[in-house]
Amino acid sequence: MTQLEFDGDGFLTNPDIWTEAVALEIAKADGIENLTEQHWAVINVIRKNYIEKGMAPMIRTICKETNLKLKDIYVLFPLGPARGACRVAGLPKPDGCV
Amino acid sequence: MKKLTKEQIDKALKILRMPEDSKLVTHLNACVHCGLCATSCVYFLTMKEDKYVPARKVELVASLYRRYCTLTGKIIPKLINARELDEKMAEEMIDLLYGACTICGRCVKHCSIGVDIAYVVKVGRQMLAAMDLVPPSLQSIVDAALNTGNNMGITTEEFTDTIQWMEEELIDEMQDENARIPLDEKNKNILYTLNPREPKFFPLSISAMAKIFYAAKESWTLSTSMYDVTNYGYYSGNNEHAAIIAKKLYDEVKKLNANTLVLGECGHGSRSTRWEGPNYLSTEYDFTTLTVVEIINDYIRSGRIKLDKTIINEKVTIHDPCNLVRNGGLLNEIRFAVKSAVADVVEMDPYGNDNFCCGGGGGQLAMSEYNERRLNIGAIKAEQIRKTKATIVVTPCHNCIDQLTQLNHHYKLNIKIKSIAEIVADALVVEN
Repeated sequence: MTQLEFDGDGFLTNPDIWTEAVALEIAKADGIENLTEQHWAVINVIRKNYIEKGMAPMIRTICKETNLKLKDIYVLFPLGPARGACRVAGLPKPDGCV
Repeated sequence: MKKLTKEQIDKALKILRMPEDSKLVTHLNACVHCGLCATSCVYFLTMKEDKYVPARKVELVASLYRRYCTLTGKIIPKLINARELDEKMAEEMIDLLYGACTICGRCVKHCSIGVDIAYVVKVGRQMLAAMDLVPPSLQSIVDAALNTGNNMGITTEEFTDTIQWMEEELIDEMQDENARIPLDEKNKNILYTLNPREPKFFPLSISAMAKIFYAAKESWTLSTSMYDVTNYGYYSGNNEHAAIIAKKLYDEVKKLNANTLVLGECGHGSRSTRWEGPNYLSTEYDFTTLTVVEIINDYIRSGRIKLDKTIINEKVTIHDPCNLVRNGGLLNEIRFAVKSAVADVVEMDPYGNDNFCCGGGGGQLAMSEYNERRLNIGAIKAEQIRKTKATIVVTPCHNCIDQLTQLNHHYKLNIKIKSIAEIVADALVVEN
């Protein structure tokens, strides 16, 4: 695998080089051993939103499109939707207190 | 770094030469180099490099003052260690004043002379901001707030959709079709504000507060156009930006004609609105401004809400946000709220006015550039928490909550982190 470059916060410097294998690697670093179907559903919604709108989706959008409960998202990604899910999905760090 | 232009340097020096501000001159000339500030600072304590000593940060600004504002400094600068404002100096200032200070003010409490070190650091940031040298990650948050009305660029449609979703959850939980999260309603008692990370990623704290307002039968509303309690102009050092953001919130209170502005759980947002806002706008606020902690305590004291301390059976500790306790006076109020909701409360050592910063303050959480340092300095807070043996940490600041969430993961603390509204909502007994 090519050497991945991360910013100071551990987010991919170049979101374009994201692949599913990269996602798995980041997830492992966060203590998530396996990416389940539910993880992938969340990741796919985040990537789709990023590609279309250039930013992370609202947690509302993630829940609506995956049919997951809010609390499930926090269990799937213990670091939360931003530092957890968005990072695994290869996005740059969202702005704000996250 | 690009060569500084004369225009940039003049703008920065203008801030040093503020003739009306004798406070600055006093605090730049008062340090006696005793070194007490060193061991009060999370940066020095964890990384042990001299450059992190708070007095060194003051000295950066003071040396410029001596160079450009004193006669000796103008003639023989070397004699009094006066430094030029050049690229090297600017880089050092960016690294230490933005990248190595959370403006927590713990050093100020320990200073033998009473130098307001955090204030001097902020003046240094103002100088850098005047030269357009705010770290890009911090500036982008300020820009988002200026351009979209909130620091995460959430659209009104997205916000409304999220709040309606939380309202449906509230109706379900309260089993009451009339349970509401009102939007843009005029003439209510309270205009409530949020940290944008709540609607964007963590809306459970919104529903927790809605539940408390419901139980207290409060007359309240959220605004869809200006609900953001944060003001990162406060940390960037650009007071003009800070004033524009403060004015937006002020205007919203007026537009909706609310009696009381209730500040969501955000340390710097509370400070920049409640204490700095009137200064930014040169206006005395003619409405009441309260934090979530105070309004909840008002409900508890007056019997408008009832809490059951037997519901939460875990050991709970409190993290004191610097801007709300050391610099905000809420020490006892926070304890009253938490102890009304929880039976087993244990304090950190030290706590209250001497508490250590979580490491995420001063804009650190927003600045990816200094992430490694931020996690390093958080080691002190992580150790404090571990020693309490608490399984829940409560803190009334979403910025602290996010830093603590990262510390929890990084230092494997195995704790839950909650806001005041969340812990109180957990203990709430709702009588329909």
